[in-house]
Amino acid sequence: MSGLEEITDKLVASTVEIFSSMIMMDVAVGNDSEATINPYLKCITGMVGLAGKRKGIVAVHFPNEVAMAITGNFLGMDVSEINEDVQDAVGEVANMLAGDIKTILSDKGKDIELSLPSTISGDQYVFQAKSDTERITVPFIVSNGVFRVELELEK
Amino acid sequence: MGKNVLLVDDSSTMRKIIGRSLRQAGIDFDNIFEAGDGQEALAVLEKESVDIVLSDINMPNMNGIEFLREKAGRDAIKDIPVLMISTETGDDIIGEAKSLGAVGSIKKPFTPDKVNEVLGPLL
Repeated sequence: MSGLEEITDKLVASTVEIFSSMIMMDVAVGNDSEATINPYLKCITGMVGLAGKRKGIVAVHFPNEVAMAITGNFLGMDVSEINEDVQDAVGEVANMLAGDIKTILSDKGKDIELSLPSTISGDQYVFQAKSDTERITVPFIVSNGVFRVELELEK
Repeated sequence: MGKNVLLVDDSSTMRKIIGRSLRQAGIDFDNIFEAGDGQEALAVLEKESVDIVLSDINMPNMNGIEFLREKAGRDAIKDIPVLMISTETGDDIIGEAKSLGAVGSIKKPFTPDKVNEVLGPLL
């Protein structure tokens, strides 16, 4: 069983790899004080569920401005609104993170299944974990804001 | 005569990124066809001349494993090579894909260099 410290290290390494190899944007780990902010204001969250040997959810919470910048870098075009391209790009970031987390929670791949990615967005919403979950939240800093990567695992 | 590729992924963003990575890797195709799931991919393969397929695994309607299984049963298209591009890296799943005819796999996220390294020898 992987410990929370190992999982946190994997979340950080995966996020840095995604941003350096596919989004082409510098990213750095933020401060713990930036880890938990609820409710989310003018944000978009991408989520992928884990089912099987370990159950939980991988989520990435982007302020709208960061999500639009990421999508613009992904697609090589200017993005000025939260549209289907942004929803798709944010979902793919969550999908790649979930795939990497699965590699350290799963033995050979079939004991944990990933859901298809989904997104929520809005002017204000609360992302609430159940009390009986292990929860990791890591803040990351990019040039135009702070976003958070979150993992919740059923105990 | 140039070659044609089919990109299969439910994410339109990912299809665009793969297409861009192919260009950055210096791999030129005459035509890049796209499909959002295995069912759409089968329809493209039945209609178009495709030299290689780059396919995701986790997709709605018909996933990449189901696509490989269905394709293997159709004589007209069964020999078209398929390279998996997926977040899935587990030995069980990649092994199943290869047993159904997949010629290799690339893990997401990837770089153009990685695409060139894996795809180049297959062309």
